Amino acid sequence: MHLDSSSPRNGLMRRLGRALASPFDPEDYLALFDARYSSREILARVARVRRESDQAVTLELEPNRLWKPHRAGQHVLLGVDIDGARQQRCFSLSSAPGEWPVTVTVKANGGGGVSDHLVHRCRAGDLVSLSAPAGDFVIPEPAPERILLLSAGSGVTPVHSIVKSWLSSGQTGRLIWVHFERNYSSLLLGESLRELALDDRLDFRLVLSADTPRGGDFSGRLDEHWLTQQVQDAAALPLFVCGPQGFLDTVIDWHGRHGQGPLFHERFQQATSGGGEGGRVRFARSGGETEAAAGQSLLEAAEAAGLRPRHGCRMGICHTCKCRVARGRVRDLQSGEHRELNNQEIRICMHGADGDVELDL
Amino acid sequence: MNAKVENLDPVIFERQGVRLTRSQVEAFGREIEALRDEVMSDLGEQDARYIRRLVKTQKSMELAGRGLLFLSVLPPAWLAGTALLSVSKILENMEIGHNVMHAQWDWLNDPALDSSTYDWDNTCPAEQWKHSHNYMHHTFTNVVGKDRDVGYGILRLSEDQPWNPLYLAQPAYNWALAALFQWGVAFHDLEYEKLLKGEKSFAEYRVQRRKIMKKVRKQVLKDYLLFPALAGPFFPLVFAGNLSANLTRNLWAYLIIFCGHFTEHAEMFSEADIENESRGQWYLRQLLGSSNLEGGPLFHIMSGNLSHQIEHHLFPDMPSNRYKELAPRVREIADRYGLHYNTGRLGQQFGTVLKRINRMALPNRVLRGLSRRRANSAPM
Repeated sequence: MHLDSSSPRNGLMRRLGRALASPFDPEDYLALFDARYSSREILARVARVRRESDQAVTLELEPNRLWKPHRAGQHVLLGVDIDGARQQRCFSLSSAPGEWPVTVTVKANGGGGVSDHLVHRCRAGDLVSLSAPAGDFVIPEPAPERILLLSAGSGVTPVHSIVKSWLSSGQTGRLIWVHFERNYSSLLLGESLRELALDDRLDFRLVLSADTPRGGDFSGRLDEHWLTQQVQDAAALPLFVCGPQGFLDTVIDWHGRHGQGPLFHERFQQATSGGGEGGRVRFARSGGETEAAAGQSLLEAAEAAGLRPRHGCRMGICHTCKCRVARGRVRDLQSGEHRELNNQEIRICMHGADGDVELDL
Repeated sequence: MNAKVENLDPVIFERQGVRLTRSQVEAFGREIEALRDEVMSDLGEQDARYIRRLVKTQKSMELAGRGLLFLSVLPPAWLAGTALLSVSKILENMEIGHNVMHAQWDWLNDPALDSSTYDWDNTCPAEQWKHSHNYMHHTFTNVVGKDRDVGYGILRLSEDQPWNPLYLAQPAYNWALAALFQWGVAFHDLEYEKLLKGEKSFAEYRVQRRKIMKKVRKQVLKDYLLFPALAGPFFPLVFAGNLSANLTRNLWAYLIIFCGHFTEHAEMFSEADIENESRGQWYLRQLLGSSNLEGGPLFHIMSGNLSHQIEHHLFPDMPSNRYKELAPRVREIADRYGLHYNTGRLGQQFGTVLKRINRMALPNRVLRGLSRRRANSAPM
């Protein structure tokens, strides 16, 4: 199935194929036989759904040949059709680079969106779309001798990928990985974690906030003092951290005051900083108008007004929702920064109205 | 002293013996919009399944058709191959391409069916089609002098178009347009008459023409050189099959499209009619300028649901599979306002199109003479 287009003969065959299929691509016809064929995007078949718990699954994905291997710690924008329309969310890859099939581990969040759909309704054989892997949450080259990794909740997934690939690549250094979790039943990838923990080069600690620890596990939650007290020279180590916003804030804050090494972090949820004040949003192309609430993104406001703007990740990553603002005042929901716009493009998932806004929608 | 009384709700529409005030026109518009909102908020998995299944069917038919044409040495294979390829080209151009480029399926968020990137199996480049059709034709529907679909720059279809002697030949060359319809469509957006009048620069014209020729080359290469060549000794048979399929698609598309706006009772409008036109008035013009075709489910799909031309013009970006359920409700609204809902069988409707083409070949003064004579000779 993997066509090799490097030889001149195959190059010619491809050109002939494209000429015959024009204005479509040969993949549009091959898709009759395997729905993953596409010249436009990475489509993957869900080969198996591994249940992690009643609220989480690991999806084994077999992407088409447009897929390029990822670096451990990177994420993808995963798209799935819900009520006919494709919705997308970012997920970290939990598999190590080169591992096949590629996996993502997903926890339901009760929001009725992509995560819930994948956990409760995704079946083997389903088709999903993937973006190219992206993100800088990766171990730099050459790898430092010692690294401290902190994760919480579903933040376990990219760290799992980083650790697994680090251990299997014959590194000689040492990793300290502390994972914070509510209880055993909410822990993702548990089996694989236990397996990895057998390696001498990894010092893995599981810290539970609402369960009685077993074996060598710990009880507690992350705060100011925990790191300094529990991890020897924590402040001096390069630090990787991934988890919910509150967790990230605590670590980033601690690192700002004590940290001496570099900090790498991966954010899972859109960080909202109170949002804009709200305001009147006019839709120049469709002619409508709506009142955007304080803190509501322009994308949400448009959707609430019955529009269906193009969008992807809803967290400011993919830029699919980029839209021209004729004029208006917006607030960046992530940084909290106010901006006066005049005929400029913004990501409408990441900006709220801060007064009157006219959108090219 | 007389106080001047201002009429707060003036009659703003008067046609076909129907008079509507401003508030009536706006109420009509709101009723139409309510239908739109109802369907658009109900789109879901079933609609997605419809279009994806259709694309699969069309692509399968195309592969089967082209495959059978390679066996052209057997006459039944040639016939079946040509028929399959014809039907697949019709489906792709009409129910898939035309509607996808109208952004009817953008809500799927599927790059394969996205209006901004889709290109169709037709010599007309998608980008230019979207300008001449989605923008010019759908905004200025049946406005003489604005909507270039009124006669495509070569036919006279309204008394408001100035007559010249060349039009005397239109009953004949109309058939040439039908047979070469995709070529007419391809060169439509060049607006050569604007070039002659100096309203369009040569530079712009050249850029457009280059884009058209690029698309034309690819289409011609595929249908008239590569596929025939792959058939080796049967080159002429495959060539003839592809030519026939393109011809069939041209004739069919012409037939459906001409029945959409040029039937006897389809109304034409002037540029003065659309000055300060409100949304409600725009809906009225779409209703009165369009005409439907009656038929079974297969007929509707084969016509790209342009058999529901009225609904398509009211809701151009609504998925076409939904027009059918709205048609009786649009008709009911039209009836209540006393407005004509123009519909009929294909044969009937096309008959009146030909009548219009034949009549408009003659100058207005002759037409008036004819109708006077007819009136005089009518029994008392």
